[in-house]
Amino acid sequence: MGVSEEEYVNFQKAWFQELRHAGYAVPHWPREWGGGLTVGQQMVLYQELAAHDAPRLTLAFVAIHHAASTLLAAGTDEQRRRHLPAILDGEIWCQGFSEPEAGSDLASLRTSARRKGDVYVVNGQKLWASGANHADWCLLLARTDPDAPKRHGISYFLMDMHAPGVDVRPIRQATGQSHFCEMFLTDVIIPASQLVGRENAGWQIAQTTLGAERGMVMLELAERLGNAGFKWLLQACVRPTPDGERPIDDSLVADRLAGFETEITALRFLCRRLVERNDEGRGGPADASVVKLYYSELLQRMMGFGADVSGLAAHAELEKPLSSGWESGAWVLDFIGSWEWTIPAGTSEIQRNIIGERGLGLPREPGVQ
Amino acid sequence: MTSDLASVHDELRTVARDVLGAVRTRTAGSVPAPVEWSVLAELGWLGLEVPEHCAGAGASLGEVAVILQEMGRAATSSSYLGSVVLGVGALNLLGAARERDELLHGIATGGLRVAVVVPTAQAEVASAETPFRVESSGGRFRLDGQASFVPDAIDADRFLVLARDQSGDVVMVVLGRATPGLSVSEQPLLDATRRFGQLRADAVEGAQSALLRFEADPATSVQHLADRGALAIACDSLGLAEAMMEATAAYARVRYQFGRPIGSFQAVKHACADMLVQIEVSRELVGAAIDAMVRNDPDLGIAVSMAKAHVTGAAVGIVGKAMQLHGGIGYTWESGIHTYLKRALLNRSLFGSPRAHRKRLARRYLSVGTNEIAGSRALS
Ligand SMILES: Cc1cc2nc3c(=O)[nH]c(=O)nc-3n(C[C@H](O)[C@H](O)[C@H](O)COP(=O)(O)OP(=O)(O)OC[C@H]3O[C@@H](n4cnc5c(N)ncnc54)[C@H](O)[C@@H]3O)c2cc1C
Repeated sequence: MGVSEEEYVNFQKAWFQELRHAGYAVPHWPREWGGGLTVGQQMVLYQELAAHDAPRLTLAFVAIHHAASTLLAAGTDEQRRRHLPAILDGEIWCQGFSEPEAGSDLASLRTSARRKGDVYVVNGQKLWASGANHADWCLLLARTDPDAPKRHGISYFLMDMHAPGVDVRPIRQATGQSHFCEMFLTDVIIPASQLVGRENAGWQIAQTTLGAERGMVMLELAERLGNAGFKWLLQACVRPTPDGERPIDDSLVADRLAGFETEITALRFLCRRLVERNDEGRGGPADASVVKLYYSELLQRMMGFGADVSGLAAHAELEKPLSSGWESGAWVLDFIGSWEWTIPAGTSEIQRNIIGERGLGLPREPGVQ
Repeated sequence: MTSDLASVHDELRTVARDVLGAVRTRTAGSVPAPVEWSVLAELGWLGLEVPEHCAGAGASLGEVAVILQEMGRAATSSSYLGSVVLGVGALNLLGAARERDELLHGIATGGLRVAVVVPTAQAEVASAETPFRVESSGGRFRLDGQASFVPDAIDADRFLVLARDQSGDVVMVVLGRATPGLSVSEQPLLDATRRFGQLRADAVEGAQSALLRFEADPATSVQHLADRGALAIACDSLGLAEAMMEATAAYARVRYQFGRPIGSFQAVKHACADMLVQIEVSRELVGAAIDAMVRNDPDLGIAVSMAKAHVTGAAVGIVGKAMQLHGGIGYTWESGIHTYLKRALLNRSLFGSPRAHRKRLARRYLSVGTNEIAGSRALS
């Protein structure tokens, strides 16, 4: 696509440093590590960024969210001291969880880590790791006990992406870009000091940190969708189409827009409430799934509607603006890109299973281990 | 439909699936290669609706629709929409004339490709502004105007431009590619299986003989042509939705997670079942619209709008679900599902959105009194 990978990476890194020096790169981190804004203040910040169509931090996304929350919740002091300041200095992270045979059923992952003295030797294949081609470090799940029940033999590692034996190959996506990657790991050495938590306790760490973290991500994304996203959708509806009519003058279009505004308002409040509830230690077992599911499907519906009202013109928009959000006004691409939210990090189907089972205590489908 | 005709269709469908499927398989994942024009000519698909005295088969839209559905199924890249659906369709609406017959002959034998410049963004075109004006005097004409999203303009040898003349009637102006004052440029779209262009005429001049007239009322004829386009697109969407349903069901049988085929999870199974239901419903609407078109039913616009509105909307939903149910694989370029999604989305917008077609249908309700039942009335 138009912008080279190098330009993208350089721009993202420079923008991160600009935000960092203004104190806005990691507002959700604890004060001692460089953050410390309240949830309310974060919302205002995200509203302002969205209102000014500020670029999003896509390259640093896993570093400031997934890596940081894992380290804060389960990392050693040494691990935190080594990586949190480095992330502020521009260290890029990716997440190596999924494998060809372990997607929704993540616990069946096969990449192995064998202990040899004070190191682990890692072999296997990871799939779909977003940003792995630019990453310095990887949050890695690997099997340390092949004999234990599936979830009890997995450990959580911090893997240096520059270590010998790490082979990364970008995969082209539906939108034409290549942001996710295949990763082949051959006899990669990871020092035991880079194990997070106890050996074989990786599954729980992945669950708790991911769940807690999803809410924080949503806070920003909901503000984006509510401010920038809705604003552009409204613009698309007031712009005259080739036949000279404005979509908004059709009462059906106006009705849909009002419906979207209502839903996005609710989502923004819900995100805030869930993050606050989680901070107070009162989070519900399905909270993260509720917001992830609602956000991703609302995004998909809104982008699909944008593509519909903008008609043929939206098909001639061949690229999204550099570092734009999930909603950029290039509606057909935005719509296709919305599957980047309904598939990863637990598909919508899996979220509904979680909400039914953990949220409502319904039984699992028969035969599922 | 007679059983003879049904077996003709079955045979046509089998051949089309083989030929087009083979092209698709050769180019899976990358930008699809266009199917060879000469192959389409040899198979007789270009002249299906061309009268026999012009080297055609004298068949009907019913046969063309079979090809269109298969082209959707294979996401075929070709100029069939421009030359056959719109080109032959437009020429068949003209009064008999030597120029017309020559063009039809050229299309049927594969030597000539045309692009028809008719509005492609709207459902209702009869009363719409025509973006081209033509003025005649002293045996010459002068044409001005411009249009975007012209199907298959890039490969066309001739352009059939619909323009309004001094008396307010729509006429067809036939232009060669190299006509002075005429400029054509490619308009790249996300759907790489289709090719569109922009066309501009600045004081294009020519002999009056290049100006052809519709046999019936021009406004009705232009609307008929737009309806043909809309119906062709509905056929395409039906075909591509079928392909995606089959691919998804096949994947759901072989992809295992949690020790089971994913198709055994109700979330997946029910979503596949909904695809089947939508496709069955869509097939009825498309079939009814084809019949109406073949019979030249006065209410054909109603049938076409129902098909276009429903099927192109449903197809977007089906392809989207296909992407979802394939998981990460579905989001890759390699899987080719994006090709179908982009095509389904473009189909939804071409020749009028579902909303525009439903608006056209709903207009009939406005004149219904409280005691009347809304029957099938012709659209005004
Ligand atoms: C854009 C993108 C970025 C990604 N980034 C990363 C990343 O950075 N790091 C990483 O580790 N992974 C990443 N992933 C992988 C992602 O998490 C997986 O794709 C996802 O978990 C689904 O797994 P799968 O692709 O194997 O699909 P499958 O698990 O095979 O699922 C196929 C279909 O079956 C359904 N299904 C499966 N099981 C059930 C069930 N029990 N009940 C109902 N339905 C079910 C699914 O919902 C889906 O629709 C990314 C994926 C995408 C698309």
